[in-house]
Amino acid sequence: MYKIDPNNITELSNKIRKNILDLSFYAGASSSHFGGALSSVEIIATLFGKIMDFNKNNFQKKNRDRFILSKGHGCMVYYSILNILGIISDEQLKSFEKDDSDLPGHPVKNLNLGIDFTTGSLGMGLSLGVGVALAIKKNNNNNRVFVLVGDGECNEGSIWEAALCAPNLGLNNLTVIIDNNNFQQTGSNDEIMSTKDLKKKWLSFNWKTSTVDGHNIEEIFNILKNKDEKLPQAVICNTVKGKGFSFSENNNDWHHSVLTKSFYEKALNELNKK
Amino acid sequence: MTNLDKYKKIFIDNFNIDNSKLEDLEYNKITEWDSIGHMTLIAAIEEQFKITMETDDLIDLSSYKKGKQILCEKYKIEI
Amino acid sequence: MIINDRNIKVWSTIGARATFGIAALELGKEIDNLMVLTCDVSTSAGLDRFRKTYPEKYLDLGIAEQNMIGVATGLASENFNVITTTFAPFQTMRCCEQIKVNLGYMGQKICMVGIASGLALGTLGFTHCCIEDVGILRSIPGITIISPADSLETVKALEKAVKSESPSYIRLTGSSNNPIVYKEDYDFEIGKSITLKQGKDITIFGTGSMVYQSLEAAKILEGKKISTTVVNMHTIKPIDKIAIDKACSSKLIVTVEEHNVIGGLGSAIAEYKSSLKNSPEQLFIGIQDTYSKSGSYKFLREKHRLTAEKIVEDIFKKLKT
Repeated sequence: MYKIDPNNITELSNKIRKNILDLSFYAGASSSHFGGALSSVEIIATLFGKIMDFNKNNFQKKNRDRFILSKGHGCMVYYSILNILGIISDEQLKSFEKDDSDLPGHPVKNLNLGIDFTTGSLGMGLSLGVGVALAIKKNNNNNRVFVLVGDGECNEGSIWEAALCAPNLGLNNLTVIIDNNNFQQTGSNDEIMSTKDLKKKWLSFNWKTSTVDGHNIEEIFNILKNKDEKLPQAVICNTVKGKGFSFSENNNDWHHSVLTKSFYEKALNELNKK
Repeated sequence: MTNLDKYKKIFIDNFNIDNSKLEDLEYNKITEWDSIGHMTLIAAIEEQFKITMETDDLIDLSSYKKGKQILCEKYKIEI
Repeated sequence: MIINDRNIKVWSTIGARATFGIAALELGKEIDNLMVLTCDVSTSAGLDRFRKTYPEKYLDLGIAEQNMIGVATGLASENFNVITTTFAPFQTMRCCEQIKVNLGYMGQKICMVGIASGLALGTLGFTHCCIEDVGILRSIPGITIISPADSLETVKALEKAVKSESPSYIRLTGSSNNPIVYKEDYDFEIGKSITLKQGKDITIFGTGSMVYQSLEAAKILEGKKISTTVVNMHTIKPIDKIAIDKACSSKLIVTVEEHNVIGGLGSAIAEYKSSLKNSPEQLFIGIQDTYSKSGSYKFLREKHRLTAEKIVEDIFKKLKT
């Protein structure tokens, strides 16, 4: 089984991309959320490879950092890392989006598979994160909670309810990571509902806010490695939807689409060259 | 028991306080006389004196002294 | 909780909301990992004393119901025993989808308490009334729905719901001077209706505030030689099917609720009843799928025919046809 090397997160990212390709291919005609999974790869790789404190052999142990995939449609990146960690088996991965599967197109809570919460209806994950972060503090623990949201997801009012709440509760153990790939389902953010100046918005809600290149592992690591003394943290990751393959980068046709055999092979070719 | 004794007992039992604290007792000045304490006080007064108080009087009854006055003037209960 | 004459009388006078506050206080004493979450309604929910006594167990999330359910879920996932509460329309509808995903789909156990449901806040208009909550929540799998008949039942229902494994919704109806149905302690089990009066001719299933009205209606009906069974169907989901089976020997089944006739108790009973080979007709008493101009609780109950006298009139009318 692959052993993650914290000094080679690029390699881990490539492995995650390979898994995403396979998952998309397994999904077949059911389609999958290809673009939005790929934009989060380096974020997930850095989080699980270098930042989060957990024990992959005892994933449910009490004292561990938590991850919540609020942008639930990005599930392929989540299932991928859980597979690489050995928590989801290769066999189970093949059941993605199949009938009666434990791995549908949006994650469903399954503690045996390392999935803490059911998500997919956008805008709900940050509130979950607030609750968990609060519980951790009440239990006098030092663990952290990381919530991954999408930029389109920031259209949802419920995100801002949670955003208002977290600093009021002093949840400096909560980090929201915004996968800012500039697109949502049917067009760019600017076309549909602009979330311009996300940094200003999060700052005005009193979060310790920064912006990084969402595909630069070193930048991501440096910003996430420490929490603030008082405030929850917002990290806006500027990303490319569909990152990693020439045909999908910044191409919103790949928001939710079928990966044909020929595209699969093309992608594999490009990956192998990396 | 006189009406005064009955009235005092309601406050003493409801708020778990001493006789000596009664004269200057006011709503929200002790922890027990919060909104819930007030409602249970009114319930006890109504039951003891067999009356149903009007909303205005419920709100006006903001102290031990005021309560005596309201019961006398509005409900003809000599305390 | 000490259940005695005095407390029953006090709880009736102060109403179900304030009684809930007192019951929560007792639970706070007993349950270490209890958390009570509200949306800026501490005094309205009788929780002021709870807030002051157990500040570490109380969390006011401001006027943000969707966030409240998410935060409750996060806390509950970390083994806190969570109660959420606010006014019924906001407790059930503003955060409906969060309830679906977190309590229904994910199955996270949380006890939600909807205060001032039905028509109690009628003077504030129908934005603050709630005649839809049961109907909406019934269609979310996995949520127990209880509507206590009086203040004592509120205490008992809360205790059971908080200690159960299932996500639940407790619907509080009535106002202060909440009529007493139970004059002494009794056995309360979620899902087991209670036959308060046995008769031969018709069966009235009441829930929440309408149980008392049903009992009063039954007294009037007895005077007119109509022998009436009255059943307190405090748990609307899961519905007590055995009680409905038993009622099928009646000439008429009447359902009475301070809720839309669509989706609530009447619908729940009709759904089961219609699957039976032989069952009597059903008269649906409740709010007839309409909003109306505002008014006091008393005014609105009269207007929507939710008083003992009007219930009797409607039953008579039905029996004559």
